[in-house]
Amino acid sequence: MKTYLAQRLGIAALTLFGMSLVIFALLRLAPGDIVDILFSTGGYVNPSERAAIEKELGLDRPLWAQYLEWIRNLFVGDLGKSYRYDLPAWEIIRPLIPVTVELAVLSLIIAVALGVPTGVISAVRQDTTLDYALRIVSLAGLSMPSFWLAMVIILVLVAWIGWIPPVTYVSPFQNFPLHCVQFLLPALAVGYRSSALMMRITRSALLEVMREDYIRTARAKGQGERHVIWSHALKNAILPVVTVIGIEFAFLIGGLVVTETVFNLPGVARFLVQAILWRDYPIVQNLVMFIAIVVIVSNLVVDMLYGVLDPRVRYAG
Amino acid sequence: MTRFRAAAVWMAMGMIALAATFAIAQTPKSGGHLNVMLREDLPQGFAVHETATVSTSFPSMPCFNNLVIFDQLKRTESVETLVGELAEKWSWQDNYRNLVFFLRKNVKWHDGHLFTSKDVKFTFDMLREAPEAQAKLRINPRKDWYANVEAVEAADPHTVVFRLKRPQPSLLMMFASGYTPIYAAHVPPASYRTGCIGTGPFKVKEWRKGEYADYVKNPDYFVKGRPYLDSLRYVVIENRGTRISALQAGKLDIAFPGETSKTASEQLKKAVPQLVVTPVGQMVTDNIIMNVKKPPFDNVKVRLAVSHAIDRRGLIQAVHQGGAVVGASLAPKPWGIWGIAEQGLQALPGYGKLADEKATAKKMMAELGYTPEKPLKVEIGTRAIAIYVDMASFVINELKQIGIEATLKQVETAQWHPMATRGDYQIGANLTGLGVDDPDANFYENYACGSPRNYSQYCNEVVMKMIEQQSQELHPQKRLEMVLALQKKLEEEAPRPILDWRLDYFTVWPHVHNMIPHNDIYNFGRMQDVWRDK
Amino acid sequence: MVGVALPAQAGARARRDGLVPTVIRFFRKKPLGGAGAIVMLVIIVMAVFANLIQTHDPIATEAADTLAPPTAAHWMGTDHLGRDIYSRIVHGARVSLLVGLGSTLLASILGGVIGLLSGYVGGKTDLVTQRVMDILQGLPLLVLALVVSAALGPSIPNVILAISIPIMPRAARVIRASVLAIREFQYVEAARALGVSHLRVAFRHILPNTMGPFIVLGTAQLGSAILTEAALSFLGLGVPEPYPSWGRMLSVSAAEYAQKAPHLVLFPGIAISLAVFGSNLLGDALRDTLDPRLRGA
Repeated sequence: MKTYLAQRLGIAALTLFGMSLVIFALLRLAPGDIVDILFSTGGYVNPSERAAIEKELGLDRPLWAQYLEWIRNLFVGDLGKSYRYDLPAWEIIRPLIPVTVELAVLSLIIAVALGVPTGVISAVRQDTTLDYALRIVSLAGLSMPSFWLAMVIILVLVAWIGWIPPVTYVSPFQNFPLHCVQFLLPALAVGYRSSALMMRITRSALLEVMREDYIRTARAKGQGERHVIWSHALKNAILPVVTVIGIEFAFLIGGLVVTETVFNLPGVARFLVQAILWRDYPIVQNLVMFIAIVVIVSNLVVDMLYGVLDPRVRYAG
Repeated sequence: MTRFRAAAVWMAMGMIALAATFAIAQTPKSGGHLNVMLREDLPQGFAVHETATVSTSFPSMPCFNNLVIFDQLKRTESVETLVGELAEKWSWQDNYRNLVFFLRKNVKWHDGHLFTSKDVKFTFDMLREAPEAQAKLRINPRKDWYANVEAVEAADPHTVVFRLKRPQPSLLMMFASGYTPIYAAHVPPASYRTGCIGTGPFKVKEWRKGEYADYVKNPDYFVKGRPYLDSLRYVVIENRGTRISALQAGKLDIAFPGETSKTASEQLKKAVPQLVVTPVGQMVTDNIIMNVKKPPFDNVKVRLAVSHAIDRRGLIQAVHQGGAVVGASLAPKPWGIWGIAEQGLQALPGYGKLADEKATAKKMMAELGYTPEKPLKVEIGTRAIAIYVDMASFVINELKQIGIEATLKQVETAQWHPMATRGDYQIGANLTGLGVDDPDANFYENYACGSPRNYSQYCNEVVMKMIEQQSQELHPQKRLEMVLALQKKLEEEAPRPILDWRLDYFTVWPHVHNMIPHNDIYNFGRMQDVWRDK
Repeated sequence: MVGVALPAQAGARARRDGLVPTVIRFFRKKPLGGAGAIVMLVIIVMAVFANLIQTHDPIATEAADTLAPPTAAHWMGTDHLGRDIYSRIVHGARVSLLVGLGSTLLASILGGVIGLLSGYVGGKTDLVTQRVMDILQGLPLLVLALVVSAALGPSIPNVILAISIPIMPRAARVIRASVLAIREFQYVEAARALGVSHLRVAFRHILPNTMGPFIVLGTAQLGSAILTEAALSFLGLGVPEPYPSWGRMLSVSAAEYAQKAPHLVLFPGIAISLAVFGSNLLGDALRDTLDPRLRGA
């Protein structure tokens, strides 16, 4: 187990290193940089002033030097200064993280709460009208753009009851009910989509397992259908579901980007879009690395869980 | 007392009581909070002198004071509506060659330091990049405004003298713009990018990046009894639909200047009839820039053909749904003071009868050898933002009819200004905002030889002479005639044909009082006299 | 847990029976998939014959008739510039399909080749390639597409590239798994024994048997690609004007005028949803038919 972990960590480190190169290169490929944007807020361009700002921000140094400095600073925990805000990147990003995490977790909870039960029902009642209906509804969820769903929710709210959720962050300590409402709607918009995926995975995993021999044996032994499902089938179907939860965490971020934008939640995802548009290299680089670490960690956790839940993997790995 | 008389007395008392109630109802109340719309986060914080965008100037207004400002309660700005802020009195001397300000005493900066003439000298030496300037701006978009200032003298702590190289009555107007606040001499100018030390009615309490900027009342403000409000919050909402929904749902009390189109305001009024909508000019134009240094637009005939071809009124209808007005390079009445009026416009290229204009344009292109079947191929650049693209699409359609085939090239924001300044384009669809309704501010910025914002690279000796002349003309009527003649000449040279002047349908909730929009989005929003019903 | 290439059997049967009976059988056994196929067909027809089935020029503005509700003259109403929405939806199909199919194809081909070679060659090359693929897959689809799109600038080829890069690893992974399984088959060993070159073996013998997973992957990712293009356009980084894009039709003005003209928000959203819905239905059905073991993946 220890060597397995060490191996995985080593691979993760290599992957992160490669990712840092990719994001660094991509950003600098983009036409225009922060200096261009600063001048665009001034409505003109001046070459000598431009050179001065480049020097101030360290953009005139060779690319490899800039890259090394970034990586070196990362190791000591220095995330650099935002080009746009002239403040330490960590200071700006830190208050945003809980918002996105909360939204992501809420969305996942909704996804599991909606998706898994419907998946079970759908599998148990395979090929009935109920199954078809559930599959269509969930597929509709997968097909709808989440930004469209978010937009429609807000428009319907403002048109019918002249109210929309708060447009600035409401802390749960200030006003818990309002905070819940503020997060529930966007979580639903994102979670609906994920719940569709959960439902499909649960359904197919359960169907797969239910065909297995030991299930037939249990049935033949006379155990009640419900007992069969709960104690045997579901336990083994959990594995792929857990895998998907881990993978979904990464997929969610895409949905979070648009949802945070439409619902005006001050999260990491919304901020990332603005940082990309502003070519705020320190913010974008570090945020993307942060997301990558989250993804890798969640994959690792899922794999560990796999090892715990499935004895076969534990001894083979 | 007779019964009649008694009745009269009772009636009089009743009317007095009624009038008193009205008066009390309109008497400003102290206290309360307002939420103001922002369409993006402040681009460089409160560093007004390092930006040229309303997204910085508007939310920074409550923090600062100018020497003089346009009366915040009057919609139309002019030299008559100037009121003093940090200056109590001012006077021109020596035939408009020297401008003396007598500064207010006992004004404190938000951190407790005392305001003196040192701060004024510091600010303007920095702006004009004087050799003795004590600080330097990283980006200085309005350096040219002060090209005519020879020296700034702060003889004593409450007097400042601006010595000019030649008479320039317009300088006073530029001091009144929201773009000309006074910085503190005792803090580095870079500090305004992250916070704000001003003398204004509100202090910055907190700026949560990307979310909102919070202001709190300045208890030591030099105008006693002001501001009325306790606090302000400028809320950042980047998504347009959400912004408008927030205004409609009452999450925002005040719209952002220039944000509410005619159709949007109609929709808002329909949903919430009590909203107060004020149509007002923005001092922003849609215009066409053409690079006069490169073919084909180095030929004035081609430029004129373009100007003739574009149906201004059609564009106003199509792109703004009627929410804009025609005008030449300065805003026409009642949206401004100096612009050519409707009758005068008729004679200019592009404003006559539609059929005639199109015919003229077609003929001009035909004479150069181009027809709709064999068109002149050009690339029209514009910023990759919906409102620019809509305008450009309309123009492309118009040009198609007279023999110019323009393909759209969308340029990302970061690259637009470098491209335009370098002259790396043929023709472009552009927006221009004027910091103040003044001929000097406009002509020097947009048409003077060598100005970085003269995107057309236009340089004409005769025009430069006319610009210099009107700048020094002291007689208002004579100056107006010169300015009108200059506008006519510029439209006939067509380096930058003006398509329209945009209107804003500024919207506030009825419980907001004294929030008067100006005919220039950059010069209102001090919030000193704004109050709200409980 | 990817399955062995049973599609050889299904493919063989199709070849034996002929196209029409196969299609009919498909429709009967998988009605939902059939419905999906029909939806996709409609959209493809819309895209290909856009110029013929439009009622107006999609970029022609009409100032007198802005924000009109659906009428006989304008089947889906007009937008804030007076442009006919129906015609724009029809042309938008072209863009969505072009970008969706283009990026999926590009990703599948590139990823497929990489996966094929990586799986076939094996050893260190395989390990390194897999790590590189992990890197690309580690990032969420939209984030990577955002950064690449910003890096390259707005244009259709760039958007196709931007969306294909995050999808590539998935294609590589699926093909590679197939290859690993087939590599050991007897007929491959026989071919090698006969002296057939590696490259020939790879492309001639192995590739055709990975077609099944290939097709399945393609239809599954098509929906994803269409949604990502819509999101990119919504955020302002997608396909530029004047090409009508369903996502961009929803971005700026739709929400602003939605209360006066809800059809601005409804039709493009329904179009996107239908396209993705159809491709998902079709993809599911194809997967069930060609490779039942992939159902869990």
